[in-house]
Amino acid sequence: MAEKKERSGAAMGDCRELQELARHHIDSFDYMVERGLEIMLDNIKPVKISDSSTNTSLKLYLSNPRVYEPLKESSRTKHKRLLPFECRQAKISYTGKFEAEVCFEYHGRAVIREKYNFGQFPIMLRSKLCHLSGADSQKLVSLKEESAEMGGYFILNGLERVVRLLIMPKRNYPMSMVRGSFRDRREGYTDKAVVIRCVREYQSSLTDQSSVTVKLYYLRSGSARLGFWIQGREYLLPVGIVLKALVEASEREIFEKLTCCYDEKYEKTKGAVGSQLVGERAKIILDEVRELSLFTQAECLRHIGEHFQPVMDGLERETYSNVAHAVLKDYIFVHLNNYDDKFNLLIFMLQKLFSLVDRTSVPDNPDSLQNQEVLLPGHLITIYLKEKLEDWLRKAKKVIQDEIAKNNNFNLLSVSDVKKVMDRNPSTSISLAVENILKTGRLVTQTGLDLQQRAGYTVQAERLNFLRFLSFFRAVHRGASFAGLRTTSVRKLLPESWGFLCPVHTPDGEPCGLLNHMTRSCRITSYFDSQGAVKDFFDIRKSILGVLTGLGMTSSLPKFVHIGPPQVLYVLLDGRFVGSIPSSEIEKVVAHLRRLKVSAASVIPDDLEVGYVPLSMGGAYPGLYLFTSPSRFIRPVRNISIPTEDGQNIELIGPFEQVFMEIRCPDGGNGGRSDSFPATHEESHPTDMLSVVANLTPWSDHNQSPRNMYQCQMAKQTMAFSLQSLRFRADQKLYHLQTPQTPIVRTSSYVKYCIDEYPTGTNAIVAVLAYTGYDMEDAMILNKSSVERGMCHGQIYQTETIDLAEEGSRSDRDQRMFRRSNLDKSLHSVIDSDGLPYVGQIIHPNEPYCCIYNEITNTTRTNNRKGSDPVIVDYVAVDTKNKKNLQKVNIRFRHPRNPIIGDKFSSRHGQKGVCSQLWPDIDMPFSGVTGMRPDLIINPHAFPSRMTIAMLLESLAAKGGSLNGKFVDATPFAGSVKKANGETRSESESLVDDLGEMLRSHGFNYHGVEVLYSGVYGTELTCEIFIGPVYYQRLRHMVSDKFQVRSTGTVDQITRQPIKGRKRGGGIRFGEMERDAMLAHGAAYLLHDRLHTCSDYHIADVCSLCGSILTTSFVQQQKRVVRDIGGLPPVRAPKKVACHACKTSKGMETVAMPYVFRYLAAELAAMNIKMNVQLSAGA
Amino acid sequence: MEGVSYQRFPRVKIRELKDDYAKFELRDTDASIANALRRVMIAEVPTIAIDLVEIEVNSSVLNDEFIAHRLGLIPLTSERAMSMRFSRDCDACDGDGQCEYCSVEFHLRAKCITDQTLDVTSKDLYSSDHTVVPVDFSDPAGYDSPDQKGIIIVKLRRGQELRLRAIARKGIGKDHAKWSPAATVTFMYEPDIHINEDLMETLTLEEKQSWVESSPTKVFDIDPVTQQVVVVDPEAYTYDDEVIKKAEAMGKLGLVDISAKEDSFIFTVESTGAIKASQLVLNAIEVLKQKLDAVRLSEDTVEADDQFGELGAHMRGG
Repeated sequence: MAEKKERSGAAMGDCRELQELARHHIDSFDYMVERGLEIMLDNIKPVKISDSSTNTSLKLYLSNPRVYEPLKESSRTKHKRLLPFECRQAKISYTGKFEAEVCFEYHGRAVIREKYNFGQFPIMLRSKLCHLSGADSQKLVSLKEESAEMGGYFILNGLERVVRLLIMPKRNYPMSMVRGSFRDRREGYTDKAVVIRCVREYQSSLTDQSSVTVKLYYLRSGSARLGFWIQGREYLLPVGIVLKALVEASEREIFEKLTCCYDEKYEKTKGAVGSQLVGERAKIILDEVRELSLFTQAECLRHIGEHFQPVMDGLERETYSNVAHAVLKDYIFVHLNNYDDKFNLLIFMLQKLFSLVDRTSVPDNPDSLQNQEVLLPGHLITIYLKEKLEDWLRKAKKVIQDEIAKNNNFNLLSVSDVKKVMDRNPSTSISLAVENILKTGRLVTQTGLDLQQRAGYTVQAERLNFLRFLSFFRAVHRGASFAGLRTTSVRKLLPESWGFLCPVHTPDGEPCGLLNHMTRSCRITSYFDSQGAVKDFFDIRKSILGVLTGLGMTSSLPKFVHIGPPQVLYVLLDGRFVGSIPSSEIEKVVAHLRRLKVSAASVIPDDLEVGYVPLSMGGAYPGLYLFTSPSRFIRPVRNISIPTEDGQNIELIGPFEQVFMEIRCPDGGNGGRSDSFPATHEESHPTDMLSVVANLTPWSDHNQSPRNMYQCQMAKQTMAFSLQSLRFRADQKLYHLQTPQTPIVRTSSYVKYCIDEYPTGTNAIVAVLAYTGYDMEDAMILNKSSVERGMCHGQIYQTETIDLAEEGSRSDRDQRMFRRSNLDKSLHSVIDSDGLPYVGQIIHPNEPYCCIYNEITNTTRTNNRKGSDPVIVDYVAVDTKNKKNLQKVNIRFRHPRNPIIGDKFSSRHGQKGVCSQLWPDIDMPFSGVTGMRPDLIINPHAFPSRMTIAMLLESLAAKGGSLNGKFVDATPFAGSVKKANGETRSESESLVDDLGEMLRSHGFNYHGVEVLYSGVYGTELTCEIFIGPVYYQRLRHMVSDKFQVRSTGTVDQITRQPIKGRKRGGGIRFGEMERDAMLAHGAAYLLHDRLHTCSDYHIADVCSLCGSILTTSFVQQQKRVVRDIGGLPPVRAPKKVACHACKTSKGMETVAMPYVFRYLAAELAAMNIKMNVQLSAGA
Repeated sequence: MEGVSYQRFPRVKIRELKDDYAKFELRDTDASIANALRRVMIAEVPTIAIDLVEIEVNSSVLNDEFIAHRLGLIPLTSERAMSMRFSRDCDACDGDGQCEYCSVEFHLRAKCITDQTLDVTSKDLYSSDHTVVPVDFSDPAGYDSPDQKGIIIVKLRRGQELRLRAIARKGIGKDHAKWSPAATVTFMYEPDIHINEDLMETLTLEEKQSWVESSPTKVFDIDPVTQQVVVVDPEAYTYDDEVIKKAEAMGKLGLVDISAKEDSFIFTVESTGAIKASQLVLNAIEVLKQKLDAVRLSEDTVEADDQFGELGAHMRGG
């Protein structure tokens, strides 16, 4: 028996689970404000300015950033809080002041700190700086917000915008890649490389999120080149030079380290990665350096310094070796501070590269989630802000230096002088830049910031309905650069993304597979631990290292280990080579680490990723890769290898480790795995692999999978309950359903995510039959009486913002105000004395809705409604900031939108249809027993090919549920979940049997069919009809917004053809394919009518002598003395045309032609080409 | 010209009668008449419902159209409806629908001045005509809950106010569902069930039991004494053919013979409360008669006889 879920009596909006959905956005922003900005400022390189004339030097740098909570601008000292709803209504941005100290450090003197205002910084809603932070649902309501407001977005100019989560290559993990484009780098390059995206780290493992990608290319010669980008150009260094420059090591030492992964003994055994060629290659690498006659570390450094001095900024006067150190520090493996670590990592990468070349390991897939992480809003802003601040300092330096050069009176020693000069470079532009990237989603940058795209970083979070809004926070985009790619490999659904990305919830069409959605259980690691404290990665790593050495790891420092796989496995911790563990011990170590991860008492974080890649025959490159970093995907699974005490075995796993783990389904089976690999983990619930929206489809496991995808799309375009706080909103367009219901058949997610706060449809009685023929081809018949009783009624709220200060020329800005004209009394019924409409007033198309008076010209102007349907004034809000005159108003209109023919509806199973008739109630078929008439009739042909069995089940279950008076639980995969008593659901009878019996017990047919009688004749219909309640959604596509008609109307100025566009009353294009159809039918007359008569019909005068249609002109009739015959109207002289060229009107003929033809002749004439028209009688 | 008369004399037998519920048998007629009666009851018996709302103040959370729509759907006692005029053919008020012959005026004034939510209900509607008031659903016995309040229109919080004037007019369900006096009207053919006793006796008791239980509704039962299958409630049969299918599955074709009596119907009428269920049926017959009068041909049209032949005579009431 299907479980019936009682609606939990949870307090309104107190929905914890809902708040978690946008947590990753908020956490990343909070960290940025709390620590990220400070770390970033501290690591911006100071700029040095020196005045050679006075021999003084000044060092400029930034420190102590502070962002304030949003406050209202006010003249008095007392500031008032600026609340988000005010920003939405006033169409302003939700920003707080951003301040930082600029430090002026003169050589050898105390530092002078000056506070600088860096402008108004956008604040994320519900972050710690936001006024809504920590508010419970009651407080939120009192602040005029949604009771379940989750935050995570910004308000800019009144619009809500979210930063799009973007897929990035996993940080600090060397990835082996095969890509054809590597071959085109230069002569001699192969398609193989090892690539690592390093995220910069400073002392005590602090990072500012900026990253540098380093590529290690393999050359055909057997050597390798290290490639990295400086200021938009890729530089390639022979790897030997870098190796030697990093550490003072003998060639023998380097050789041994490179070849340690090869041991003859183990060749071709399981897990061996080296081959004998490794030695050859090592030799070639070393020979290369020798050929350049570079022998020592110092020589190598000098070599690097010499070549890089021109491109390194601000190091023009440094020694070559200092420049080289700067290159090594700033561009090569920036996540490591220690040269030994860098050296070890480079050796590791070379070994991985050689293994890739020797085919002892396979390349990593950059499109797989295993090697990916996500770009979070806080991180993006930090990276961007860093560049903008660096730019600002650089510019400041430039203006000061210019001033020094120009102005002799300028005193570098005087801080006030310097500050005055610096003000030419406004500091407030910094926050403006941040606001701009959030507003437009476009990065304005020279360096590219190691990001793959320039635009599309933010999107507007439309509140079309709640599900759509929610999905913006769960969406993960692959990157704009992949959208244009013709290959489909990036769009593939790979098994690695299991449990992290929803396989169902992706749009069909253009962004298919690129725009994915996180599953409901998937989270993103952040800088905050579960207690909300900032994580100390330095401590975490230290304790992990402690644990590892305790378990028998040989540390890599100071000397690199001299054996490799398969005897030992290398251990990398956040991209740092830390040592090796004997392969016999490794399983134990991994199990131990996992145990520590789960246990609350240990210092090992619960989101540590234990990426154990086991030894294999030519599989992935083996090793133990540990990750503690933020912005990784994680999800909870049950660790069943740990003896469970009170459910303390939930482990958070990442996509990297998941691939090599044995996770079974909780249905009690072994999932077909052999006994040698017993399952160590178990999924917590099968529906955890679906996104929130996909989780709302009842019994989605009974549907054909594309139907579930369509439903995810349609759920997001349903006209539903978009907001509870509708009164305080000024959104451009809001859809609203008047009388929604909660579905009878529901999944457990409805309760979990408080979907009942935002219902999306109506339980309609649906009969499946072919009746009247108006339900063909996915059309559906609605019961007219049901509609009249309120089914699917809805409104569109549309807000017009009129800001007198913004529109029009600057000169007459202040002279305009809202005021009604006293002269035009006809306006008085529509517009109040303040120039604004009455609330509740109906306004028809082309009627005025507000009146603006200009004091100077003493004229009034009215704004008239556009569009084709009458609207009702719902709400008028005025901005009282300007005390003198009212300048800014929001007028909200309400468009009533009750169902009519042509509106679109859909069930929750991807079954959409268009209303084809509002059928009278009495003509609908009725049930003899209950007298019920269906609300809606759909055609049985909707089922066989689409196989939406769940819709049939829903109908059955809802019927039974409504008879029982209880909701029916329709959580998918219920059969594969253990019940509390450890048994799986009794699958002896199928679900249908359960539902059938439920109906039968209430005296209804087991199969859900009923005998219906024709409403027209009163006779029994020949077969029994499947009828029952199905939850139907009304989609936002409505004919009222789409219909387009035209008889005659505006034409294009140049071609005299009808214009296009619904708004302007244009026509619909009769295009080539339509033309082809006409021709194929031989409908010549119709074709002529469409393309000529109804288009640009024109009668031209053609001169048959010269064949020109351009040289004709009307001849001025000379006043001829015409004798008027009394009583008759004056003779109409025929219009006379003559040819200019021939100077006669003899050969003039009139010809009907399309006007564009004449235009063509004119265009050709402009190119000095004459067009000749030859006339002949008869075709 | 004499034709065969098809005139029949239908009989009505009332089974059950309550204010808002009626069950009766209609015999000696055919499906067309039965269905016509059903259709008229749903769509053409006039009632009174609020049709025009003038809103003076509305500071509630629901918008004007929403409230107007809700007001329209409130059933009003409509005994007067049959004798009232449609606004569109009212001479007294030139069709503007505001005179006493064709309309009833309602007023509603409600303001919440306490911190408690105020329910504005149909009881708050003040009618200008005491015969046309919102239907009272409260239990006449009154002990169920003493403060029965009627149909909720809107809920008000402190400071919110609703003030309006509403005009109720006569109308029919065809124009808008709000004028429909019937919640449900349905009829079924009276079933004629014959059990083949001889064949039935070939079944064991368990087989009989399972056959009896194959019907989702309780039509058959086993006599505890004689252990014979008997028809206990033929009208519970829903024409779902379950028992026939079951008999077929048991290999006993023709175990039971069920047919619908083509000329007898069992009607169930549920009223919205606007008109009493019994009155609804009578009104429906009245309306049906009026409609038939409209198509009745005048007596002296000879050419009509040529045209329609026997039918003409029939339509004249032959």
